Amino acid sequence: MNETEKKAIEGQAAPAAREQDAAQALISNTEEIAESKPAEAAAEAARPAAGEADDENKIFRKYKIKDIVFLAIMAACMLVTGAIMPLVGQIPVFGIIQVCLGLQFSIFPVIGMMKVRKPGALLFMSLCCGVVLVFMNAVMFVCILICAVIAEGLVLLIFRGYRKDGACLFAGTVYFPVTLPFLYLYYRFLYSWTGEEGQAVNAFIGSSAGMAVGMSIAVLAICFVGALIGVFIARELKKAGVMKK
Amino acid sequence: MTLRNKKLYPLVAILSGLFIIIFGLVIAKDLLACSLFLAGCFVWLALFGCGRSCLRALPLYVVVAGIFFAIFYGATGTPDAGWAMANRFGAVFLAIVPGMSTAPVRMTRSLSQVHMPRSVTLGMLIAMSFVPMLKGEIARVREAMKTRGAGSIWSPKILYRAFLVPLVMRLVNISDTLALSVETRGFALGKARYTIYKKESVALSDAVFIIGLAAGAVLAAVL
Repeated sequence: MNETEKKAIEGQAAPAAREQDAAQALISNTEEIAESKPAEAAAEAARPAAGEADDENKIFRKYKIKDIVFLAIMAACMLVTGAIMPLVGQIPVFGIIQVCLGLQFSIFPVIGMMKVRKPGALLFMSLCCGVVLVFMNAVMFVCILICAVIAEGLVLLIFRGYRKDGACLFAGTVYFPVTLPFLYLYYRFLYSWTGEEGQAVNAFIGSSAGMAVGMSIAVLAICFVGALIGVFIARELKKAGVMKK
Repeated sequence: MTLRNKKLYPLVAILSGLFIIIFGLVIAKDLLACSLFLAGCFVWLALFGCGRSCLRALPLYVVVAGIFFAIFYGATGTPDAGWAMANRFGAVFLAIVPGMSTAPVRMTRSLSQVHMPRSVTLGMLIAMSFVPMLKGEIARVREAMKTRGAGSIWSPKILYRAFLVPLVMRLVNISDTLALSVETRGFALGKARYTIYKKESVALSDAVFIIGLAAGAVLAAVL
């Protein structure tokens, strides 16, 4: 083999070797990526899970659209069943509104709280329900909002959130009976405008304080039963797999 | 556009409803003045695009006020207590009228315009527009009860097992579907930017309505 032939062979072999090197580098790079990807993917998958776990442990969590929608639907249920409020509100018997509406105003909020389990759920339901109730009984709307804030505050203080079923039961039981003292203040305040102070208080509380106490106990009992029914329904739905988080 | 066809600005409707109920309850014992004020409000609301709602509320008002008038007349022996009660119910029913005449979507738009949080406007829209749907669901569950021969709804056990549990289960399913539907339509919570498809604005007719309402209240107070 002469010099020129040798050069020609080398000239052909050099690009072939370069191509081989490049191919080898590509293979090794692909293998590296393939090796590192499962680790990265696992880390990626673990990151949101850790975030969710952290979020679960927080007391105040962000609301999602499905939470808002469910709470609004529960508020609509309260609204439909609470439509008799303007009618019974004019009957001069202390606590008649709470006795008539106590059951539905504890069942539906408890179901809402059992599904969403976030602070502010009760307040949100009260707000959505109150938008329409405000036309029927403006005073009751204000009372409901104040009482929702009080009930939420008590739950946060005692239970630190809605993680336990007991917290939802407690909030559902306390929520509506707390309106009683506010209504008392309202009747006193409103009638002092017309110059007939105390008349409404007498009419709504009755001549004996015993009746007011009896009605208050009845309201508390009704709301407790309602909240208990709400808890049972929510548990049943959870068991059936309908109450997903 | 005539006054009859012009709809009230939603926030004006809310405030006027509040004003009617509060003022009506305060002056309910000034029998004639309150009745005249409420009658004036009825006509005024009918003139400003709430005529249909006024007519819908009227028969119910007549029945309820009639019943309570009879009860109070029977209990006290004088018509005054019954009349005051009828005035109170009049205030309650008239206060509902502006709200009934405002479409939920208009209310939502105007609340969005005043930068109400998106979660609140969505919640209100669903709560207000879900009521007819809920009635349909209740009818469907009761129909299912009848088909299965579940018995009377007044029995607590049957009410719980055959009515409440299926109804709430249905509501949970509807809420999941609705949430998905809302999300797929691009609705987002938080600080996501949004546009209002059709803006609501205060018109001259709203100002005239408010002035008329205030004038009626002043007249009733003077009377």
